[in-house]
Amino acid sequence: MNLDGKYGLPSRKELKDFRIWDSYFTPSFGHPGADGSSALFADIERSMHAIELGCFERLCYFAHVGLGTTTDAAFETLVKVKPETVSIPLERWPDLLLSMIQLNANDVPASLDALNRWLRDGPMRGVYFAGGGPGALTCTHPNFHPLVERIGELGGVIMQHTWFKTGGKQGPGESTPGELAALAAKFPEQEFLCAHAGGEWEQGIRAVRESPNILIETSGFDATAGFIEMGVRELGAERVVFGSHLPSRSLGTELSKVTAAEIPEEAKKLILGGNYRRLLKER
Amino acid sequence: MKRRQLLKAAAGVSVLNANTADKEEGLKIIDTNVSLFRWPFRSLPLDTTKALVEKMRTLGINSAMAGSFEGVFQRDLSAVNERLARECSRFPELNPIGSINPSAPGWERDIVQCVDLHQMSGVRIHPGYHGYALDEPHIAKLFTMAADANLVVQIAAALEDARTQNDIARVPDVDITKLPSVGDCRVQLLNWKPRGTIPSGVYLDTARIDGSDGIAKLLETIPADRILFGSHAPFLIPEASLIRAVHENQIAEAPLQKILGENANRVFAL
Repeated sequence: MNLDGKYGLPSRKELKDFRIWDSYFTPSFGHPGADGSSALFADIERSMHAIELGCFERLCYFAHVGLGTTTDAAFETLVKVKPETVSIPLERWPDLLLSMIQLNANDVPASLDALNRWLRDGPMRGVYFAGGGPGALTCTHPNFHPLVERIGELGGVIMQHTWFKTGGKQGPGESTPGELAALAAKFPEQEFLCAHAGGEWEQGIRAVRESPNILIETSGFDATAGFIEMGVRELGAERVVFGSHLPSRSLGTELSKVTAAEIPEEAKKLILGGNYRRLLKER
Repeated sequence: MKRRQLLKAAAGVSVLNANTADKEEGLKIIDTNVSLFRWPFRSLPLDTTKALVEKMRTLGINSAMAGSFEGVFQRDLSAVNERLARECSRFPELNPIGSINPSAPGWERDIVQCVDLHQMSGVRIHPGYHGYALDEPHIAKLFTMAADANLVVQIAAALEDARTQNDIARVPDVDITKLPSVGDCRVQLLNWKPRGTIPSGVYLDTARIDGSDGIAKLLETIPADRILFGSHAPFLIPEASLIRAVHENQIAEAPLQKILGENANRVFAL
């Protein structure tokens, strides 16, 4: 049975024309495996059918680089002793994967060193600040200031995990879109990605709409209808960036938020890849 | 066969014929989880029945089991079900699913009306929003009545992620571990994210079975006969569940046909 272009998924030609770049690929997000890559590889392989189905061009995941962003002391030591472990996935899928490093704003000196090691010298393209786990710190903390300054000097992209959770934060290191807006106001020349648009996106979008240097990322919550329409209406399509959250979320959930939205096709192209490529200084 | 059933049957034939003419090998898809009318906390792009049905037609969804958001938030469920039945009668694709609150006075009469007045094939309950647990005695009574009346009971395990709910309407997911034996009653859990043991004999819907291989993994646990396609539209984007089921989970054709439509045909005796 020919399913191309039917039952909710755009045709392969349409998908290729979108030129999809995924800003939020989360294989083995919390821990890549004791050897530094086995669990990560397994989850990338697990995602491969969805990646091919969606005709994704590139995906960006967030590497742990030994800054204490996991709870596994043995792994943290391994990565420090053998930092080349971090790059193995990029070497295996060089045309598919991009990566950013998970920073730990609780440890500014080590994070500054990591920025030199992984952003200045490559191959990483930016940083990720987590919302939970041992590396999390609310982004209004002054520790962020020297890190953001250095990331800006290096031309890196910043992805900040954000949620507005009903009932309040689940952990002390979590950040809200409102807190990201406060940080972004101090660094008007730096652009920030507001991961998950705050989850509860009606408040998340409103919290960042007066911050022109914040773009919202689309993944990490159910395919609640109306999200992208509000994002485009309030922020403009230029400030919305697609993320897949594969494989813990699905192509169905995450891609349909954009492809099924009642917005112009040109806006979909910007969201699905154009905006992210601009941040990465790619064409 | 009653007049309404005749109309439905005639409409069903025409829909099938139209689809056959359009695409010989089209899938037969029944969405077991849609709701009509307004969600009170947000304007949804598909929250008019016309828009929802047009979207279904675009996506190749042949019919749907339609509950009512009014049935979640209003107390006069007799009137709610009357409006739902009337609205569904305008669209041959829609099968009304009445709202029941078995913790409210006189709920048994609503069951009778759903069967005798509206010829419904199922009812939907919202324990979280109506404030009762599944181990309360009226649930077992509901199952008995529904089995006697040949009604499916749909249990909305959730309607919205608890992390994103409005502060004045915080409703935790229903505790499924308290579900009593369903006996001869056909029971379907809607919007449930399977955690732990899946209750014996119940059917699930696909609306919130997320992950790139979520349904495939579920099929390692329970047979395809117990999984029914559902979208939770218009609250969720219907394409989300459809893409997962049809394209993403690499489900073999036979179980896929069951999930998309055959199971619903059997369970709801359409």
